[in-house]
Amino acid sequence: MDLPLIETPVAARWVWMEEVTYSHIPIATLITAFLVLAPIYEYIGYRWGDKRFDRLARSLVYFSMILYSPGAALGTGIPMFIIGLWPEFWHRWANLFFWPLIFQFIFFLTDVGFLFFGYYLPWDRMQNRKRLHIFFGVMTAVFGLLIQVVWDSLGGYMTTANTPLPMIDQPVGMSWTAFFNPSFPFLFFHRFFANISYTMLLTGGVLAIKHLRQKDPAEKAYFGWAGDLTFTVGLLTFFVLPFIGWGFARVLQDQAPVVFHSIMGGHASIFFLVKMGLIGLLLLLGAAYLFARHRSRFILWTSTLGLAGIYLVLHWHPALDLLPGGKPVWRAAYTVVIAGLLVLLWRIKGRTDPDRPWWKAAMLAVGLASFLAFALGGFVRERARQPWTVYEEIVKPEVLPLEADRWLVYDKCLGCHHQSPKDLARYAKKDWEDRVATERRRPGVRITDEEARRIVAFLKENYR
Amino acid sequence: MTSLEMPVIGAKWAIGFIALFHTSVGSLAIGFAFFVTVAQIAAFRTRNRSLDLLAKKVQLIHVCIYNIGTINAIGLVFLLSGLFPQFFGQIFVQFYWPLIVEEFLFFLLATTLTFHYFFWDRLWGHKKLHIFLGALLTPFFILQVYIINGLGAFMLTPGMGEAELTLRAGVLGWDRLGFYSPSFLMLNFHRGLANIAYGSFAVAGICGAMLYLVKRPRIKEFYEEGGRLAFYVAFAAFLSLPLVGYFYAHVLMGQANEAFVNLMWGRGDIVAGGIDWWWLKHIFVAAMLGLCLVYFYQADKAKAPFTLPAVMVWSVAIFYVLFYMAMGMVMTWAFFWWMLAVGAGGALLGRHLLGFHQGSGRGLYLLIGILSFMTVILGGYAREASRPRFVDRIAHYDQVFVPRERQPFLMVEVDPGQIPEAVPKPEPSGPQILIRRKCVGCHTLDRVKAYRGDWGTIVRQMEAYGLKLSHLESKAIVGLLESGQPY
Repeated sequence: MDLPLIETPVAARWVWMEEVTYSHIPIATLITAFLVLAPIYEYIGYRWGDKRFDRLARSLVYFSMILYSPGAALGTGIPMFIIGLWPEFWHRWANLFFWPLIFQFIFFLTDVGFLFFGYYLPWDRMQNRKRLHIFFGVMTAVFGLLIQVVWDSLGGYMTTANTPLPMIDQPVGMSWTAFFNPSFPFLFFHRFFANISYTMLLTGGVLAIKHLRQKDPAEKAYFGWAGDLTFTVGLLTFFVLPFIGWGFARVLQDQAPVVFHSIMGGHASIFFLVKMGLIGLLLLLGAAYLFARHRSRFILWTSTLGLAGIYLVLHWHPALDLLPGGKPVWRAAYTVVIAGLLVLLWRIKGRTDPDRPWWKAAMLAVGLASFLAFALGGFVRERARQPWTVYEEIVKPEVLPLEADRWLVYDKCLGCHHQSPKDLARYAKKDWEDRVATERRRPGVRITDEEARRIVAFLKENYR
Repeated sequence: MTSLEMPVIGAKWAIGFIALFHTSVGSLAIGFAFFVTVAQIAAFRTRNRSLDLLAKKVQLIHVCIYNIGTINAIGLVFLLSGLFPQFFGQIFVQFYWPLIVEEFLFFLLATTLTFHYFFWDRLWGHKKLHIFLGALLTPFFILQVYIINGLGAFMLTPGMGEAELTLRAGVLGWDRLGFYSPSFLMLNFHRGLANIAYGSFAVAGICGAMLYLVKRPRIKEFYEEGGRLAFYVAFAAFLSLPLVGYFYAHVLMGQANEAFVNLMWGRGDIVAGGIDWWWLKHIFVAAMLGLCLVYFYQADKAKAPFTLPAVMVWSVAIFYVLFYMAMGMVMTWAFFWWMLAVGAGGALLGRHLLGFHQGSGRGLYLLIGILSFMTVILGGYAREASRPRFVDRIAHYDQVFVPRERQPFLMVEVDPGQIPEAVPKPEPSGPQILIRRKCVGCHTLDRVKAYRGDWGTIVRQMEAYGLKLSHLESKAIVGLLESGQPY
């Protein structure tokens, strides 16, 4: 579709797109997670006869209701911005996924029907029909998740496009292969658990502050209980994420290797490392709070196993080039850190008062760290794919030579004896012309003269 | 097949269904916003808490339908993206910035609406602030619809729009001439007033339905009073709609003649299933006028609040008889007699309903709520159905569409300013341009294309009707038409 390109004022096109997306995604993910957890809490309250669970569930739904309209309005902004700024991409993408988009619309409509008319509005009137009410809550959650399924599938396709992106005069409407693209299940489950985790940690932090500020003892007790419950749920859920994340990374390594290289040592790695730092903070403070607060063996041992799981993931992951000394030093370092953390946690168990203001502030800090880590996750994924809008299918029209050349270098020069972009920096002698010429002679390597010129220029500029 | 298709109902009806669904819900939201403010101000000034409670209940329904409307809008975007990609892509490029402003207003609306409803009780001590917050919704809505009307009006009366320039020279995101098209003003007036009337009649309809369901006298009085206020607001907005509609039609006569003819003479998609849907809409409007006038007449006799003096009711009735007489002279006398009969029938029915329910407006409220919904749906349908398919509106749409990869741009730094301008298409000259300029003064070129016969006679006939042509021009036109060459 040969339409002219609209330029945006003040900031670049991608910045506008990023801002619009980031205005919607935190709200949408929070609503999705809250609506998944609300009927679960309500059911527990119903079974145990504990009114606090009912109140908590209702609060989550009430908050979702407040956010629903602004979130939906911002959500409409995403296609509006894309259609105008990337019309060719949008219309080809909408051509490939026409029916999932239409079903997403139907799911959305059904979701609102259940949420408003089955769940939120008749909450009081259905006190004596609790099972039916919880059923409506479950249906709200199911349709909310179905919406997420569609978007994660379409988003996954943009990174691991396993079928060609058709032209507009080649009507497709639905491709199951494209829908079930390789990264879709990982993206969905990673997002699902991340949504639960970050929203509950953030809620726990906010409720902890509310607990601190309450004067009424009954209210103070409720907010203390609710903050602790949500925070614990959030942290325990988090422990699933490293496993799914590692699986996601492996799929990217296989299906979208340039994206993988961009994250692991490439141009997006700095953001990924910041994300890991935030996760480290989250784990340290969050686990310390759990051990300070709880006596339950289940919670303590689950947390211990969760940390041991992170050890396993680090073990599978290639050694990070953060410490001098290579693989053994790296392995020794994280072994000592995790073992030390576990010892520390078991030692502080019951030795500190978790109701101190400091702990409440720490809970909020963990909540904010988890939110930032979540936000950075999406940013890293999108940034790593540049300059492709759909990986190896359609490139953004405003692509810069730097981005194009960087992609070429990652694509042609990594994955064999260079495992990461950082490997390119290890050569003492920067004789890039000779090296590229040598590599071109290797069997199976296909680099044209033009590509070789661009690769050399990029390496000279960025690896001096 | 070179485009996606919607099974069973087809692409056109899929868009039509969702668009009408969205319009009916979106218009309701606008009307509700206005009514809530009126009810809140009335409650504040008269210290009548029941009106404030009614406003809150209406705002809750507003929150629910607002989200439904939003989702419908998204469904419409998806459908248009898949089913009419070229039209949608191009109109987005043409009107991108108004749409982004509209999106911003959308967010402001959603946030304001949320705060207004969910903080109703918390802001109880700051009632003026709360009313102000609610009152913001109406201008936001009007601005939002103002933008959508710009696009909608352009689709019907492109006027001086630069649609072709969008592709040829790059009107990037803001086609001012296209936006302020000839029917823009009238569409705004008509829709603005219709939305307020429809929303308020809907509130009256809800009150009417609730009056059938509730038993307790206090609650009955609550809905009775709410219905009266809603009816009053609705009628004030409804009163001028036929007049605005008349001027709207007048603009169409000059700027979208084919649509005008379709509406007035019942041609094209206006007649479907053997029913002229535009006429049906007017029948409903006349019935509503009859119902309203008899309601206010009876209410004045009963000294109920929120009513009109009898002399005004009679004045309005006489005015509308004269209006329909004028319409009869312009269109056909059958229109006048039908409207008069239906208006009188509506008045009799209203009188019966009020009598049957011992003065309660329940039946009348409910009926008029339904009729008002029908007029909104039929009005939207008539406007879209009157227009020849919009693919004919922008010349480029009917060309063969060959998308192009942007892959070559991977290698270069793209500066839009440096992209060479496309060479404008050569303007036709000679008899082609004569045909275009001379014939469309009275009818569209479709009629010329559809005609098969003796062109010499036809051109002479046109000259007899007043077409000014020199002998050479006449000869050239006849020659080209007989040769069958394109123009």
